[in-house]
Amino acid sequence: MTYQITRRRFTAALGGAAIAGAWARPGFADAKEIIVLNWKGYGTDEAFALKAFADKTGITVKHDYFNSEPEMLTKLRTNPGAYDVVLINSARIQQAESEGLIDPIDFAKVPNSAGLAPALKNHANLTVDGKAYGLSWLWGMNSLTVRKGIAADSWSIFTDPKYAGRLALFDDAVTEIGIGALLTGQDINDPKDLKAIVDKLKAMKPNVKLTWSSEDEWNKAFAANAFDISVYWSGAVVRSIHVSKLPAEFIIPKEGAIGWLDSLAVPTSSTKKDDALKFIDYMIDPTFYLTWANESGAPASANQAAMAKLPADDLNRQIHKEDYLSKLQFMSALPDDRRQAFNDAWEEVKAFYAK
Amino acid sequence: MAHEVEVNIPRPARRRRQGWATAALLAPAYGWLLLAVFLPLCAMLFFSFLKTSPLPGRPLFYTVNNYLAFINRPYLFDVAWTSIRIGLWTTGLCAVIGLPAALALARATSGRSKHVLFLLIILPFWTNGLVRVFSWTMVLREGGLLDYALHLVIPGAPAFSLLYSFPAIIIGLVHAYLPYMILTCYLSASAIEDGYVEAARSLGARTPVVFWKILLPLSLPGLISGSILIFVPVIGSFMEPRILGGRIGVTMGTVIEDQFTAAFNWPLGAALSFIMLAVVLVIFAASARVLRAGGALQ
Amino acid sequence: MIALGRAFLAATLVFLYLPIAVMVAMAFNASPLYTLPLEPTFHWFGVLAQNGPLLAATSNSLVLALATAVIATAVGTLASLALNRRSFRGQSLLKVLLLPPIAIPWLITGTAMLLFFFWTGIGRGLHAMLIGHVALAIPYVVLIVGAGMQNLRAELEEAAMSLGSTPLHAFFAITLPLLAPSIVAALLFAFAVSLDQFVVSYFLATPGVSTLPVEIYTSIRKGFTPEINAISAIFLGVSAVLVLVFAQLSNLGGNRDRR
Repeated sequence: MTYQITRRRFTAALGGAAIAGAWARPGFADAKEIIVLNWKGYGTDEAFALKAFADKTGITVKHDYFNSEPEMLTKLRTNPGAYDVVLINSARIQQAESEGLIDPIDFAKVPNSAGLAPALKNHANLTVDGKAYGLSWLWGMNSLTVRKGIAADSWSIFTDPKYAGRLALFDDAVTEIGIGALLTGQDINDPKDLKAIVDKLKAMKPNVKLTWSSEDEWNKAFAANAFDISVYWSGAVVRSIHVSKLPAEFIIPKEGAIGWLDSLAVPTSSTKKDDALKFIDYMIDPTFYLTWANESGAPASANQAAMAKLPADDLNRQIHKEDYLSKLQFMSALPDDRRQAFNDAWEEVKAFYAK
Repeated sequence: MAHEVEVNIPRPARRRRQGWATAALLAPAYGWLLLAVFLPLCAMLFFSFLKTSPLPGRPLFYTVNNYLAFINRPYLFDVAWTSIRIGLWTTGLCAVIGLPAALALARATSGRSKHVLFLLIILPFWTNGLVRVFSWTMVLREGGLLDYALHLVIPGAPAFSLLYSFPAIIIGLVHAYLPYMILTCYLSASAIEDGYVEAARSLGARTPVVFWKILLPLSLPGLISGSILIFVPVIGSFMEPRILGGRIGVTMGTVIEDQFTAAFNWPLGAALSFIMLAVVLVIFAASARVLRAGGALQ
Repeated sequence: MIALGRAFLAATLVFLYLPIAVMVAMAFNASPLYTLPLEPTFHWFGVLAQNGPLLAATSNSLVLALATAVIATAVGTLASLALNRRSFRGQSLLKVLLLPPIAIPWLITGTAMLLFFFWTGIGRGLHAMLIGHVALAIPYVVLIVGAGMQNLRAELEEAAMSLGSTPLHAFFAITLPLLAPSIVAALLFAFAVSLDQFVVSYFLATPGVSTLPVEIYTSIRKGFTPEINAISAIFLGVSAVLVLVFAQLSNLGGNRDRR
């Protein structure tokens, strides 16, 4: 491997045996190892799961992480062969497929896929020419989250003068444009009047205290009483209430909320596709999901069999109610120019907040 | 012996040897920079003239539109002004705190304690920047250290928070960059001969005069290097504004970061960085001229 | 004046160490959300001991920072000598060229390196990170050593040479000892630049091989726990002890003891 050659040459150049020792890392030639590209702390890297999976199959799992979806695609493009499983938001599947980055899923090698909700298994976002390129794994919502005791049933609370300086927005163009679209009665994926959305978002300025970009930031700021009203992820809110004991309440407003579907895919350049599919199969396994949801808190599994294992009064089940599905608008693929327009609009709104 | 040969070499040959020696001194550093920074940045310069981020198998379209960003997006003027204000405040405060601290270190301490203090100033630098910024949020926020201390003193005081404000950004940045200023000023200040100060004092000069006429001019090289090391990275900083600034924290750094991480608009992000670099160079060219006119730089 | 100066210095140190003290204190605080009041515990040190990847990343960071500091200081000091001691055509251009690596946000440089290293086959990994870190540290070294050199009188060296010393001998006998404080300072700063460098490392890390800042940076999405504070506290404590022992044994930071 070129990596090893350059590494050896490099350590030789340094000429230190001690340094070479620190550099040596076993396992690069090990066939029974796969590499997963995902957000950090998002299911695939749960310690208990890696152990159980290794015990069952003899395959060890290593991780590389990304911090944004464009970065994930960049990593796939510039590191052919490096990854065996990658998490892709269903809205990005068609883009990844069009660049030839991912393979269609061979459902025959994923026995647990029998339990997938039919609407999610072949979701329009995941398929190209009738073939699914991502295996639907988890779904969730970005919706209104407030401090316990605050009554709200509409996104219009974001402009309510009562909550001046108490609002935290998610620093994500698609989500914020989506909220503006819901407030102006438009399609979140194809709003006809972007100007109206920008005005609506700008009107929130007196209320906005901060924009958050990570679960950690949200939890710490909420715990420190920096804000009361926000938009938040459904899976994360379960963790915040369940693990961090924060007084948060998740609400689906009457205008609706933003839904998303995450999938697992196999890169075309992977050399261990069978092992990759074994891992994907394990990721939708009901027993894995039950432990994950109970111990850490998770979004809703796309596998009906997994959801059925949760008790009816489970927090996760309460938050991911079946009947919410009808109130959601799912994020779907955006053409490049529209995505660009969303990003530009959100950048302008943020600059307006800062002024 | 070798030195006799040295002295007898005819002048042109000697100059040529000097030229080779200069090149040999420069080659490792600039060769390294060429490979790891300049060539990659040339690729970015090329990208900045593209319409969309380059993707394999897609045709490239060229445009200069990204360099007209400030015309197409007038709000960027506000953002740029915020960044420059942050840069000036941070550099100014670092100078006001760093120079006296450096002078005190050079002139009011001695022996081992001087060395220990010198190292103590650099030591905070050896912790992770992100962790330091997060620690500041714990100091500045409601229920944080300052708030907690305030309520110990005045039990009935209202909740106090500096977090998510302009001063919070400045505090975080001054903390991150102050050691640079202390260090460069210290290197200048410790070379000031005691004789100058003693001579001035024996002629009846009082402390302010000694400072303005001797210590400040002689520390100026350090002050200038320190200011460069601070102002330049601060106007492109994004971590401190983002985490400490809340709604206020929108700077050139955060806008550029957004283009690279969230928006996948590398051409625009690259163009904005090169515009920022040009502005920095213009500011330095102008201030170098002013300083030279003032006779401060030889 | 001396007393006032010392008081000012003390106040500056308090400012510099305020967040550091908080960072260390939080390593001993039970709350993973970093809330006050403090509930003392050693829990996070135990958790840390179990966290193999984080410890491996820390050791990678150390080795990388050490190698970066040595290489960048050596290479940068040579360049600084040429830039400040000699005159040649293009000198000011070379000085200006030191600014882009500092001025262009590391994010752009990092992305550019990722693409360029991918195209040229340098690839990713610790070797690539080292190339990147050294490059980013060089301008700092050149500027810091340069600041020290401005105050050295070239006459000393010339005097030595006119007395029959070779340039090389004059350099080692006169210039280098006088420059020692600047070089040590540059070394310490180059070490810090590498240690704190998360963007470039992040882009150039290969799966399974990361550095401490990369671990921290990727943790913030899910949330980093006081484990990070614990490792930072240990790191700081060990460096403090090493550095203070070093200070006792050597004569760095200026050798002009006048009292």
